[in-house]
Amino acid sequence: MDVTNPNFWYALMGLSVVLIVVIWKKNQALLNNTYVAVTLSLLFAIAYFHLVNHYLMDNQGLDYWYLFRK
Amino acid sequence: MGGQTRKKLMAIMALSAMIGLLMFPILVSIPALAAGGGAPAAGGPPPDVLAEQEGDAVEEGQKVEMGRDVYYKTEGIVSGLPAPKTEDDLRSYPRYNFESRVLLWFANQQHLYYGSFVLAVPIFCMIIEFVGIMSKDKAMSKKYDQLAYDFIKISITAYSITAILGGILIFTFLTLYPAFFGYLSSIFRPVMHIYALLFVAESGTIYIYYYGWDKMKEGLLKWIHLSMSVVLNVIGTTLMMLANSWIGFMMSPAGVDEQGRYLGNIWHVLHTALWNPLNVHRLLGNMAFGGGVVAAYAAYRFLSAKNDEERAHYDWMGYVAMAIGVMFLIPLPFAGYWLMREVYAYRQQMGITLMGGLLAWLFIIQATMIGILFLSSNYYLWQALGRMRGAEKYQRYIKYLVFILVVGFLVFITPHTIVMTPTELKAMGGQQHPVLGAYGVMSAKNGGINVIITTTVLSFIWYMRGNKVPIVPWAKFGDIFMGCFFGLAYLNIIWLAIYGYYIPANVRVGLSVPQVVTTLSCLFFMTALNLTMLKGAKMSGPIEWGKISVRSQYALIMLATAFTWMMGLMGYIRSSVRLFWHVNEIMRDNSPWAYTHTTGFAANMISFNVLFFWFTILFVFWLGTLGVKKVPVEAPAPVPGRVPQPAVGH
Repeated sequence: MDVTNPNFWYALMGLSVVLIVVIWKKNQALLNNTYVAVTLSLLFAIAYFHLVNHYLMDNQGLDYWYLFRK
Repeated sequence: MGGQTRKKLMAIMALSAMIGLLMFPILVSIPALAAGGGAPAAGGPPPDVLAEQEGDAVEEGQKVEMGRDVYYKTEGIVSGLPAPKTEDDLRSYPRYNFESRVLLWFANQQHLYYGSFVLAVPIFCMIIEFVGIMSKDKAMSKKYDQLAYDFIKISITAYSITAILGGILIFTFLTLYPAFFGYLSSIFRPVMHIYALLFVAESGTIYIYYYGWDKMKEGLLKWIHLSMSVVLNVIGTTLMMLANSWIGFMMSPAGVDEQGRYLGNIWHVLHTALWNPLNVHRLLGNMAFGGGVVAAYAAYRFLSAKNDEERAHYDWMGYVAMAIGVMFLIPLPFAGYWLMREVYAYRQQMGITLMGGLLAWLFIIQATMIGILFLSSNYYLWQALGRMRGAEKYQRYIKYLVFILVVGFLVFITPHTIVMTPTELKAMGGQQHPVLGAYGVMSAKNGGINVIITTTVLSFIWYMRGNKVPIVPWAKFGDIFMGCFFGLAYLNIIWLAIYGYYIPANVRVGLSVPQVVTTLSCLFFMTALNLTMLKGAKMSGPIEWGKISVRSQYALIMLATAFTWMMGLMGYIRSSVRLFWHVNEIMRDNSPWAYTHTTGFAANMISFNVLFFWFTILFVFWLGTLGVKKVPVEAPAPVPGRVPQPAVGH
């Protein structure tokens, strides 16, 4: 598991989106469950902000993971 | 031909004439531009004559002098005289018994305040009139139309004052800085007259737009009226961009060689390194400023309202103006960041003078003003929650927003170093405070301002939800998702600010971009999510316009005053960064006033300009109220045999 690889965060974000869609289709009430909603929202947001950080630094020719690779 | 058809034809002809008027300056300038758009230095022959002379010279076997563009590094035929070398004498700097620079500063600043206002307000009118036309609710459509009319009514008087101030500014330049103004107008000769003619086109359009409001209020005519506002704004924005090219040239000259000789390419002269960042920054700044001034007008009318109906109207007007102003205020720091980045890219020393040297303390004052702007906006929104039933649920959380805003604000305004006596320096153990000193760097400041902006976005979202309860089946999930997204956004901004302390400066400088995008993600995605959730939402009560605290109106006045002060400050900073140059590295300022004022003097001068502007704009506001008083108190007795007509017009 390499957290410096954007694919990891894509996978995490994809997983959260798939879970949201599946739960929405199967059982809408479950989606409104506090624990489920918090878990899925956090998964999505954490992955999203890491991708933002990674790609916007990468576009400037900079390495967001500089400290972690040292 | 029916009366309606005739009116339509007349409207189309008027619009065509207006477009023709708009195109006229461009048409007349084509021969000059085709001839190379030459702008000889003061007193020299026009470019076509020069080109002819050069052609003759080539024919006679003489050498054509070539020059190298100081910015674009391209070769070009020298088409003008060098920038004049001025001396501290009455020929270059004729003067009264007063500091010429201060007189010019005053004339320039007042013209800029009014110019910004009259450029911004028609853009608001265009947006509001369009919203009114698109609104399916007839009553709302009429309200929006009245609002747009109220906006343009204020700007009409201001427009005349702008023109007068423009004249005063030109006379000030001609009488106090003739050598410099002669050089600048010679370089910009092909576009100077376009500017003047565009101003004529703008005047014609704005007067037709204003006086034709009642005549063109329905059907196709209304659309033509709206399209006139588009034409008006295209002219206005072009005018602003042309004026920006002059200050862009003064800061980062291009299209001339190292002696300041014009090289025949007018586009290079216009399109300097800082032109586009200045255009974007000024456009956003004008809009935010215009919103602030109109909001202050509405607050003034609210405070002096005689009945509930008036109070409700001006409360609504103040809210709309404030919302538009803040909408443009939010991206303004990012546009400013881009401008500074381009300044650093153009001349690193210029950037250091601005943010780390001579003018750095002014940036601390600027940070304070930005903080005040956002605090005032948030305060107004929290007060505005009071006019909605059901918004009480948010009241208890406001204290947390206050805490976040204040912490962000304090970090944002912490200076890197402070002026101290030797005793104070010794007591503190160095130039930087052992704890607070850590916040005086860009890494922390970027975090501070992004936290402030994100909180403002959150306040807006709460305001939008004030009297509404979402009823979509996934409402609870949506609320939790929004909460988590905002929470993680705050954490990401703070994390990036802290991370910046542990990585080298060349990597750290890039962290501001993901910070900005984090904030913008909250703005765009969460606003979109909120609007989706609020579709068909249950209303817990209507918005009771006019039932808002008086304090909120003072917040609007505060907002407008802070905008005005900050504009004066930033204009001074931008102009001062040239230090002792009229045109950076090309034409030296040899007047006795080619030095940087003390921060105290500058602050006093800015305050004087702000006070003067507000005294005069209050006069404009007062003029705006005179028309309203013409409405008769009692209706005249009906004349027998005549059908009573409904009241029309404004």
